[in-house]
Amino acid sequence: MSNKAVVLRFLAVLVAGAAAAQPGGQFYNVDKEVRIEGPVREIILEPRYKGTAPFLVLGVEDSASAKRYNVEVSPSWFFGQDIHGGEKVKVVGSLSETPRSVPTIIARELQLRGETFKLRDKRGFPNWQGGPQRKRGIRRFGSS
Amino acid sequence: MMIWKMRLIVPVLLIAAVSVQGGTVYLSFNQHSTRNLFQTRDPVADQISSFSLSFDQDFAAFSFLSNLEYSAFRDISGLSFFAAGIGLDYLKAAGKKSAFYFAGGGTGAFYRQEYGAFSSLSANLLGAFKSYLAPSSILKLQWQGAYAVYKDSLFDHWSQSASLSVDKYFQTRTTFKADAEWGYKYFLHPFLPEPVEPLTEPVATIAAPNGMGMGTGTGSGQGWGDQQYQGGNGFLPRYSSEGGGAGIGHVSLSLLAAQGIGDAVGLSASAVQQWIVTGGNPFLSIEEFYLVQNPSADSFSWEGRQFTGRITLNLPWSVELKAGYTYSDKTYPGVESMSLEGVPLGIVRNDLRHLFEARLEKNFRRVSLFLAYSWVDNRSSDPLFVWKSHFLMGGFEWNLPTGRKGGAS
Repeated sequence: MSNKAVVLRFLAVLVAGAAAAQPGGQFYNVDKEVRIEGPVREIILEPRYKGTAPFLVLGVEDSASAKRYNVEVSPSWFFGQDIHGGEKVKVVGSLSETPRSVPTIIARELQLRGETFKLRDKRGFPNWQGGPQRKRGIRRFGSS
Repeated sequence: MMIWKMRLIVPVLLIAAVSVQGGTVYLSFNQHSTRNLFQTRDPVADQISSFSLSFDQDFAAFSFLSNLEYSAFRDISGLSFFAAGIGLDYLKAAGKKSAFYFAGGGTGAFYRQEYGAFSSLSANLLGAFKSYLAPSSILKLQWQGAYAVYKDSLFDHWSQSASLSVDKYFQTRTTFKADAEWGYKYFLHPFLPEPVEPLTEPVATIAAPNGMGMGTGTGSGQGWGDQQYQGGNGFLPRYSSEGGGAGIGHVSLSLLAAQGIGDAVGLSASAVQQWIVTGGNPFLSIEEFYLVQNPSADSFSWEGRQFTGRITLNLPWSVELKAGYTYSDKTYPGVESMSLEGVPLGIVRNDLRHLFEARLEKNFRRVSLFLAYSWVDNRSSDPLFVWKSHFLMGGFEWNLPTGRKGGAS
């Protein structure tokens, strides 16, 4: 068998495996996307999901409604970005509300200090990368 | 041969990565154009195409990171390199306001032909701690260490650095940050043995590869395969009968002020002052290449100061513009300025550099496109390193999530 045929067979097996492995449900509900804007009132790092690193969660007060939201960002952002209490942020994300608790927004897009950060794509799949480890490397002209 | 191998390897790795549930795959392609690859007074133009494939995967509180990169130099093909890296990181909360971060990894970089001396294997470790002293103030501590072996053993080294930073945000949307760092780099055996017959000419002039201008250096011929590094311009090792290693250590202080204006503008200004507190550069000269990690020149090799101003504009239609200007005044202890004929001038090399950078980025759903431009005016006490040049770069990054991650997708 030629190398090409072996590679194609290998790829076919992997694709089939990938298709079978797709999850059935999603926590990020695109039909419940909201936009809020306001100052950060609280910054905490806490476990959100079993078997994952703790998440950076921002307590944001919506300027329009004066309502408080917990904005779930990502694990790596705790080290990757320095967000301060009092900073004004704009958030686009999926709203999750349960009775007698602060509503949560799973952030898809975060805007602060004149920069827009895409945390997830429009279907809610995460974009975030690792922490400071990923930021090292060769200094190149033009790199951000 | 290398390109053929990449055609075979990349699709396999890509599909393998996609098949793993819960990870993210990043693909990027950058096209670079430079008029001065070796950053000397004798400009050498080149076009570089860089392709990289990264894959991240979470395992509980750990993240696995991997990366493959291939950069092809159109004219100076000997600088084309393949690099691969893997790493693991771990985030550990220490209460609700603090966390530890640990990371470790290894990287291999492999060059072709006359630049094979740059081929290296390295390992690195990082530990960090971050804590909110108050909602508007952050304390960060970080340590990192690295060990690298090169095909030309002159460059073998280990290094470590530790830093402490504190910042404060004010309601005027102003942030102040102070940072202190200590760093030390130790070259394990950077000296050539004294020749049996004393050299009448301590510096051998060589022709740089592919007619890129005259150089004034020689390689060690040590390490794997007797590969000799001839450099692009003027790398010069030292001779020593005693052998042994040599270290260089620094401390630095930096200050940063940032200001937000409206929703779309961010401004920042920063200053760094660095002092060499122990040792010096073990090589008689150092050199920088565009896009290539040259082991003779890095953040450990200089003392002096640097000032930077930046502006970020968040434009409509998900377009972002960043522009900046940096002025640096760097002296390289142990490195003597030389005339173009290779005669020592009796002064330590000092470079004054003006750097202007701009980057325009447009974000689509999964793809980011960017165009970046840089202009450099470098004035040096060593006439070989007096140069001006433009650099242009464009490319895209595409990310492909491969399933659930963080329980939230």
